[in-house]
Amino acid sequence: MAEIAGVALRSDELTRIRERLGREPSAVELHAFDAQWSEHCSYKSSRHLLKRLPTSGTCVVLGPAEDSGILHLGEWNGERYGIVIAHESHNHPSQVVPFEGAATGIGGIVRDVLCMGAHVIAVADPLRFGRIEDPHSHQRYVAQGVVDGISAYGNAIGVPNIAGDLYFDERFDDNCLVNVVAMGIVKESQVIHSYAPPGADGWDIVLVGKATDPSGFGGASFSSLTLDAQDEDSNKGAVQVPDPFLKSVIMRASYGVFRFLHEQGLTVGFKDLGAGGIMGCSAEIVSAGGYGARIDLDAVNVAVEGMRPEVIAVGETQERLLWVVPPAVTPELLRIYNEEFTLPEIAYNARATKIGTVTAEKRYVLRYRGRTVMDVEIEFLTGSIRDDLPFAEIAAPQASSERPLVTGVQLDELIERVLAHPDVCSREPLYRRYDAVVRGCTVIPRGAAGAGVLAPVPGSPLGVALAVAGNPRYSHIGVRLAAEHAVYEAVRKVVATGARAIGLTDCLNFGNPRKSEHYNELVAAIEGLARASERFGTPFVSGNVSLYNESANGRAIPASPIVACVGALSDIDTVVTMTLKQAGSVLYLIGAPQGALGGSVLLDVLGRSDAHLPRIEYDTILAQHDLMYKAAQARLLRSAHAIGNGGLIVALCEMAFPTMRKGRAHVGAQIDDAWQWTHGSAGDLEAYFGESGGFVVEVAADDVETFEGLADDVSGVYEIGVTIDRPIFVVDDQAFDLHRLREIWCAPLREVYP
Amino acid sequence: MNKRIAVLVFPGTNSEEETARLLRDCGGDAHLVHWSRAQQLPTFDAYVLPGGFAYEDRIRAGAVAAHDVAMDHVIAGAQKGKLVLGICNGAQILLEAGLVPGTGKIRRPTAAFTRNGPVPHFVCTHVHVKLSIDPARSPITAVLPREAVIPSWTANGEGRLAASAEHLRELEDGNHVAFVYAHEDGSVDDSASPNQSALGIAGLVNRDGNVLALMPHPERDAWTFNHPDRRRGDAILAPSGGAVFFRSFVEAVRRA
Repeated sequence: MAEIAGVALRSDELTRIRERLGREPSAVELHAFDAQWSEHCSYKSSRHLLKRLPTSGTCVVLGPAEDSGILHLGEWNGERYGIVIAHESHNHPSQVVPFEGAATGIGGIVRDVLCMGAHVIAVADPLRFGRIEDPHSHQRYVAQGVVDGISAYGNAIGVPNIAGDLYFDERFDDNCLVNVVAMGIVKESQVIHSYAPPGADGWDIVLVGKATDPSGFGGASFSSLTLDAQDEDSNKGAVQVPDPFLKSVIMRASYGVFRFLHEQGLTVGFKDLGAGGIMGCSAEIVSAGGYGARIDLDAVNVAVEGMRPEVIAVGETQERLLWVVPPAVTPELLRIYNEEFTLPEIAYNARATKIGTVTAEKRYVLRYRGRTVMDVEIEFLTGSIRDDLPFAEIAAPQASSERPLVTGVQLDELIERVLAHPDVCSREPLYRRYDAVVRGCTVIPRGAAGAGVLAPVPGSPLGVALAVAGNPRYSHIGVRLAAEHAVYEAVRKVVATGARAIGLTDCLNFGNPRKSEHYNELVAAIEGLARASERFGTPFVSGNVSLYNESANGRAIPASPIVACVGALSDIDTVVTMTLKQAGSVLYLIGAPQGALGGSVLLDVLGRSDAHLPRIEYDTILAQHDLMYKAAQARLLRSAHAIGNGGLIVALCEMAFPTMRKGRAHVGAQIDDAWQWTHGSAGDLEAYFGESGGFVVEVAADDVETFEGLADDVSGVYEIGVTIDRPIFVVDDQAFDLHRLREIWCAPLREVYP
Repeated sequence: MNKRIAVLVFPGTNSEEETARLLRDCGGDAHLVHWSRAQQLPTFDAYVLPGGFAYEDRIRAGAVAAHDVAMDHVIAGAQKGKLVLGICNGAQILLEAGLVPGTGKIRRPTAAFTRNGPVPHFVCTHVHVKLSIDPARSPITAVLPREAVIPSWTANGEGRLAASAEHLRELEDGNHVAFVYAHEDGSVDDSASPNQSALGIAGLVNRDGNVLALMPHPERDAWTFNHPDRRRGDAILAPSGGAVFFRSFVEAVRRA
């Protein structure tokens, strides 16, 4: 693929560059185009597809145009507050060096949120690993290293991890997925944009952070190539080195700069350095404002002498940001970073320093030791390039036969095997390594609901919910519907907390798009996401595309559209957790069971398959979500849980398990046999273990009449049982010891994350 | 005149905002003081060292910060009887500085909060701590009920108290063990501790009672919204739960 060592540009792309420049590109230019035209930066094979996603709506403050999107959360004391959200992958680096790869994933996504002028309030981590049963396998090493990296970085910078999910599949053996989401809070009047504002001609370009070093050279093109085991050592050099300690100080110093800028009423530009390093960031921030730039590479604070100019220009050293400010502001900016927050004392040669100037002439010029080493039209460098790839429609799956499942396996054995399934068992051994409560704003930490909830504005009752979803077992069967399910599940988890779903982000993790089957999957997934987003009224405000997720032998990952959903609560007093609260409540199922068991955990434990995913009946679901919101507002829900992996029985167990802790009053559940409420519309096993979505809710006996009044016109609402004051779960005339079930559910991941 | 509380910020501190906010919500006059402004510290009446990873927890958690110039002022203040509270990383710093338990020399620690057991990993989980001294033993705990059970979060990689058996006896005999891990109902057993800390120790106080080190974070379960499963009937934005401990500290500062 590569024609020049270390460069991923294709020959047709090289020809375009030679023709446009009218000469051979310099080494610096070659590496600059290589980074800037990589899939990672340019979205060349996906940008035109992404245009199909809905991106506007009443809650959208800023759609997908800059480093993060912004959603309107609510008003408090006459101020409008926005939620800044960004979503990215760090798949390739994490497969090669798991700890550093995952840690720098958190570091990068946090900078995307910070540079919008926001305070960073949360991170989330959707993870997909290969088979980890063998303790000496690389997959086990990846699964442990990634979690340690996320933990080490997120904990140190003091940002709580409040949401995430985790799946295992052998097709992630050679290519794990490490997606990261970060969320921030900002007053909408104080957003800082990632472009040089009008009138910026002659302004200073100020680089802030870690001294530039040779780490992370070639990162953008590395992530746009498939992984080759033989190149492992050179790949390792492309991964950056995390420094959360420095980042923690840079974040706090930047908050100090924000305060100064707001006091002065100044509009400036601020952007994170990611792919393409100094070159990528500075070119994009000025060209987005319609300018060019002159950068002096000799002014860059470096960690070692003698680096080649292309390494300084495009290397992806972590913990750096870039400001575009009027020259009169620069001294105060440097004072805050370098003197008040003492960056040069925090890490070797870390500092804020002026490296260049914004120019009206739309050229991008790099100088090094008195020579011009790059001089190109900036719009040619940063303008969109596009790959048109052939596409074929993926055939829709056949209609389901919908015959009730007969297994011959006893219910008690099924429950135990489903609870111990790697995609169902307790995630606590993993997430207890993440700080969930730093900042003191956490309302619902992980483990207390499917979504995390924060009170992001101190002193205000505003709340924000965050959940992630994307089931790889579903994409085996049908990518389009799997993508719709990803949106539905993320929205559902948010709705279960009593919040309104207001917007989405996505990360599209796929194989090599130059292979038609993977490109077709990408197209189908985007169609599915677009449809679900439109029907739920939740636009996409930011996202990321990660292609080429396959190993050298050509084995690709399962198509993995992963979605995050943001929810808004106008009053955190209405928040609902999943923990059962009291014996004597009535339990309802909201969401009719379906016959389709395709992709379910139940079929996986039985070693069977079915080519039918549950249908998504949007009109019915929207009415159910409306019921959830009204019931939460009226404080009728003692607890609520979104049904997901493992179905209704797993949901009920997860609601009861937290009350099994020592020193707490135990609350169990007793549900009626399924035929008593399905009346035969679905088989018993489909009702107990089906994954067609919906909720279980707990309603106080005194509130039953009011709740049923609200639910009157909503279809798919069933009274299924009651809560009891004993640590047992009763179904089908059989009683199960919840302490024992909890132990079965808790055990599997303890071995991996002791 | 109003008593002023300094909340110290070292490079790597990460819990300063919520700690200062809770102190203010409990009636305290709390101010953040950054490392580059340590010379302001002598003008304050009391010091709070919040959680985080000061100086990256190099060598051992708290070890480098204990030698920071800011700690010169805290040590001098403590020796004059000013009240000093350390939470989590702040507690580690107080032990490394030798202020707690204070039975040895300054900056010659006699005990340390070190790597968690049984596995040496960061652990974040909800816990309860129980007051295990007579409340009047320290002004900081003076208005707490006897055997008060306080909800908190533990969130650290080095929270297990380690000391020689002889020194542990000294700590018990000298009533230095201010808090131990407990269950919600106040019962105490090995399973209440998240990290195999010696004697289930969660907090230590010095001989004079004016310096207290507490590993878990009561400030992270300190407003009603922080505990949606455990509503106590308070207004959602009101301090509750772990705030009782900070109220007691603020009251002690007021009386001092």
